[in-house]
Amino acid sequence: MDTYDADGITLERVEEYVWEIPQEGEMNAPARVLASEALLEEIADDMTLEQLKNSTHLPGVEKHAICMPDGHQGYGFPVGGVAGIDAENGCISPGAVGFDINCGVRMMTTNLTYADVEGHEEELVESLFANIPSGLGGGGVVESGVDTVEAILERGMDWALEEGYAVEDDLAHCEDEGRRPDADPGVVSQKAKDRGKNQIGSLGSGNHFLEVQRVTDVFRKDVADAYGLTEEQIVVLIHCGSRGLGHQVCTEYTREVEQAHPELLDRLPDKELAAAPAGSQLAAEYYGAMCAAINYAWVNRQLIMHRTREVFERVFDRSWETMEMELLYDVAHNIAKKETHEVEGEERELYVHRKGATRAFPAGHPAVPSAYRDVGQPVIIPGSMGAGSYVLRGGEASLETTFGSTAHGAGRTMSRTQAKNEFWGEDVQDELEDQKVYVKAQSGATVAEEAPGVYKDIDEVVRVSEELGIGDTVARTFPVCNIKG
Amino acid sequence: MSFELREHTADVAVAADGSSLDATFAAVADGLAAAMCESVPADGGERFDCTAAAENREALLYEYLAELIYQRDVQGVLPVDNRVTIQHDDGTRTANAWQLDANARGVELATIDAREVKAVTYSEMMIEQVDDGWRAYVVLDV
Repeated sequence: MDTYDADGITLERVEEYVWEIPQEGEMNAPARVLASEALLEEIADDMTLEQLKNSTHLPGVEKHAICMPDGHQGYGFPVGGVAGIDAENGCISPGAVGFDINCGVRMMTTNLTYADVEGHEEELVESLFANIPSGLGGGGVVESGVDTVEAILERGMDWALEEGYAVEDDLAHCEDEGRRPDADPGVVSQKAKDRGKNQIGSLGSGNHFLEVQRVTDVFRKDVADAYGLTEEQIVVLIHCGSRGLGHQVCTEYTREVEQAHPELLDRLPDKELAAAPAGSQLAAEYYGAMCAAINYAWVNRQLIMHRTREVFERVFDRSWETMEMELLYDVAHNIAKKETHEVEGEERELYVHRKGATRAFPAGHPAVPSAYRDVGQPVIIPGSMGAGSYVLRGGEASLETTFGSTAHGAGRTMSRTQAKNEFWGEDVQDELEDQKVYVKAQSGATVAEEAPGVYKDIDEVVRVSEELGIGDTVARTFPVCNIKG
Repeated sequence: MSFELREHTADVAVAADGSSLDATFAAVADGLAAAMCESVPADGGERFDCTAAAENREALLYEYLAELIYQRDVQGVLPVDNRVTIQHDDGTRTANAWQLDANARGVELATIDAREVKAVTYSEMMIEQVDDGWRAYVVLDV
């Protein structure tokens, strides 16, 4: 098959797993979808391709807008979207980052094996659920005043270190060492800070979760050794973002950009793509506020990890240091960052928008933490409760193909309303328990909405990532306990 | 005045209609509550007021729903049984040409089984006048 017709949009196969929507009309660049034919059929089943095509109308899109193999319909820019936009003559779009700024994942390793945890699963899931705030109105690990929020926005994980919620090694294993230097708390509104002060260290709901997992497969032993991963080992995966604070930042800046730059908005086919021209005051302010929200999200995940260490200490009656509960890596998948990439033979500074896409820098890149620089940046791809998750490393072809990015998850194929019609939360929990996966949630509806059957085949997503050389599989994990909102 | 939750791959959409713009906005707000809670209690909770202002109809709906989400987080309540009064200053195109006064019953989150809607989006947003009133469509980020 050399072309694929999807309801008025024709894609041309450029090479194996690379499909292109050619530039036409008001598009500023072509768009590309990275997918096998099976994944492309699912991607073409909703508005993903139209949203991807719309994103090429943003001024300054370089090379091509890209949809990752797990892409699906979102709002404005599709989930799984990557766009490298000229940071001098282009623009930055809050909607192309998303409301949940620095939604991301972290993985913590332990020296426990699955055999150590067997028999403790129910106690563990109950204790995690009781101690880690989740759901709507569930509070946070830390609830305090606006001064604390401002310190977190300014200093990120440095704040957590100063307050005793982190150790030096945690910072060394976090993207950007857990602190965006461009953060400006002064351009984050009082409303955003008010929403943030009672949610510091909380999962939220939707597709966010904390999962105790066991490593079932190691595919690249040398890299797994560098990451500290071995078969049958217990690890903990935490997936959440910047909570109401980040949502408020995006909500407000989308409106401010809409009002301040109507001439740019008029050129865009979707109002949710509203963008501030590069170099404008609003672009600088949004970037400062977004970076501050990024810091908040890192602290959010750090506090959840800190509380998880305490829970393990009580359940297994030994210190977290004895269990070697160490951060493997924390990486964002909803973010825009100023990064330097090669475009047409020149080094250019771009706002790389990744919305539901994970940074995946290869070995040798200076932004990869020194502990992993020889093997490549860890990429954590959470899957469904029934299929497990993957750890990848940034691939050699990622910088050239995707501005250093790969997938962020399995990607949904079924709406939440349909999922609730097809699945019953308690049935899903019982079936998972038959597979020795213990799930506890604030809401049965959330379990139904997140049932394994609503997601794409994560094995296929990861296989395409590997075939394209943008992210190489290192290890696979399977759930043991899962808590969610 | 009624609403329906509609399918969306990752999120959820609300389709609403009403005999007036006021009733239609209130129905969208009730749809927002339904997207967070499947069984809203028939009573309980204190009523509270909120306001919004914007330069056009769509922006007003965005600001109104965003305000309800903000109030949810800072008050710790789910806004239900929504009532809306909209005023439009004809002939002006100022930032406050459209104004809204709203009132909702705030059901304490601690008393219900509710999930989070993160934000209101402009994606696919539609507000249009039809023969017997108005209808609206909004995608919510879950």
